[in-house]
Amino acid sequence: MHQTVNSLHAADISPALRKGTFTLTLGPFAHLVKGPSHHLLPHLASMYGDCEASLEPSNVTEIMLRLRAPNVFRRFIRQQISPDPGFEVPAVPLPISMVPLAFEMGLNLSVALKTCRFVTIHAGVVEKGGSAIIMSAASGGGKSTLSAALHGQGYNLFSDEFALMDLETAEVRSYPRPISLKQNSIPIVRELLGPDRISEVISDTPKGDIAYARVSNASLTSTQSSAPVKLILFPNFQVGAQAVARRLNPAEAVMRLVAASTNYSLLGEPAYRTMVSLVKGAQTYEITYGTTEESVRLVGELFGGASP
Amino acid sequence: MKREALKTIVGRQSLPSRVLDRIDLVRFADSNHVLGQMAHHCEGDGSTAMADIFKNAKLRAEHDHTMLTFEMNRVERAFSDRILPIVVLKGGAYVASGGPAGRGRRVSDLDILVMPDDLAEVEQQLLKFGWVPDEQTDNDYDQQYYRQHMHELPPMRHKTRGTVIDVHHALLPKTARHKIAVEKMFETATPVQGGNLNIFQPIDQFIHSAVHAFADGALDTPARTLIEQYFLYCDLTREEKTALAARAREVGASMPVALALWFVGSVFGVQDAMQHSKTLRNRRRYLLLKMAVVNKLVGGRSSVLGKAYLYVRSHYLRMPIYLLVPHLLRKAVRWRPGQKTPQEFPFPQ
Repeated sequence: MHQTVNSLHAADISPALRKGTFTLTLGPFAHLVKGPSHHLLPHLASMYGDCEASLEPSNVTEIMLRLRAPNVFRRFIRQQISPDPGFEVPAVPLPISMVPLAFEMGLNLSVALKTCRFVTIHAGVVEKGGSAIIMSAASGGGKSTLSAALHGQGYNLFSDEFALMDLETAEVRSYPRPISLKQNSIPIVRELLGPDRISEVISDTPKGDIAYARVSNASLTSTQSSAPVKLILFPNFQVGAQAVARRLNPAEAVMRLVAASTNYSLLGEPAYRTMVSLVKGAQTYEITYGTTEESVRLVGELFGGASP
Repeated sequence: MKREALKTIVGRQSLPSRVLDRIDLVRFADSNHVLGQMAHHCEGDGSTAMADIFKNAKLRAEHDHTMLTFEMNRVERAFSDRILPIVVLKGGAYVASGGPAGRGRRVSDLDILVMPDDLAEVEQQLLKFGWVPDEQTDNDYDQQYYRQHMHELPPMRHKTRGTVIDVHHALLPKTARHKIAVEKMFETATPVQGGNLNIFQPIDQFIHSAVHAFADGALDTPARTLIEQYFLYCDLTREEKTALAARAREVGASMPVALALWFVGSVFGVQDAMQHSKTLRNRRRYLLLKMAVVNKLVGGRSSVLGKAYLYVRSHYLRMPIYLLVPHLLRKAVRWRPGQKTPQEFPFPQ
């Protein structure tokens, strides 16, 4: 039986984090993490408590993230922190109290730009009964709220940020990191998942107020590591709108997914093939809705009706 | 010592047994942009973890190659109706030739070499086919400086694809201390299969790489450069290796070639490279330079010294002092600290 973040002792994790040997394994990736333990450990304990973890890496890791001060002064005076995923990133230094944000951003950058053995699509993914739903929307389009709502209704959360598409099988991989919530979605998701699943709110970040929601134990420990996609949705939240679904033709769906992919142009032809077989095997809709309840009901109907 | 790392990357040595050392090695290869080459040439350890990392790196390099091959095709098109010898240099040549130096290599800009007399026509033709002067150097001073003193046109960028092409008419700046008989290298260039572009013969590819590294520039990417020279050298036939010294003298590149051979020999432990280096070596032994290169390669705090030495040396080699001082002053006055603007994720939309 492997260790988890919570089964390890905090007193052991702290030096491993400072040395940069702490390893977190989640979904298809092992993450080697280095960072200020005092600020990072509470986030890891509350959001990644049941994830597989070790104090020393057992092998090389695909993702190596260091959280460090942008310069020597910022290690001591008005401390700041920057994510360093091992390549140049346009990240702004953040105050040290925002370490969870720097950590999550750093991991997102690593996955988006480095792991090109998957076609990565900026989207939320949930799974039920061995089939997956991909929800792709622009930032602030309600993707996280919808993912969280479906997760609260018994769907497994595969990811709130990335659909990781296997290049060969066009199946989506499970990568259940915490759900990242912005501004208005925080109180809604607190209601949906319960207050004990939501982190403290970090105020005044470059993205406004943010918080994180813990993924359920069932999703974390699920043996379902990948699933074929049955439904592809482009959610569109509009205050006061009637819930409607509009069927998209395959070409339109592929074009929208391409626009939401972080590495499509880098991968080229193999990514195109993956996208095409993804869309061929699924039904695709643009959905518009005015309330979360309606969106959940609508997705349930479409998911039930969609034949794989 | 980074020598072990370089030997492992090119596949001359197996991976270190400690996991933390392996991780350091992958990090070193990645930050020096040679992970793709490692993925192709190093056997790995049979684990899926290493295989996944290698797969990422190979896919990334493949993208570069597709892009650069397309770019070469566009240049071919631009010159399809003229008889104008064009030689593709460096990364483009390694990709086109399909040799070990190109495998898994990261490439971005396309470098081409043309006869000095053809320069104006080449520039006209490229402008006609959508390349425009690159914004960064599109000002009176830079334009004039490049044209008057350099061995290349100011960089051009394609207006829709955004790719950069450097058009050279010599291998070293006009003002450089060393003179390379590039016309002799032109004569023996060979056509790339199925097109109207050429590449240097293998022996001259090594010589050009040596000139670029040790007679010009401050060796900005030491790991990458040494690995490149190792592969170029190892890909030569026995006859070519023997002919290297004479050819280097013939084109006026004894010093850089002797140094490149010395590094291939001492860093990678290639015996015959060391011997060929000795046949070329003249009175000076370039001890300080060798130390500086190793120092810069190893990195860390003391590498400031090696970097400073190489920086000063590169300027000394490139131009006489009466040109250098006003040029550096001008660059210093124009220099502004980089501004960091808060950016969103590099996500689409």
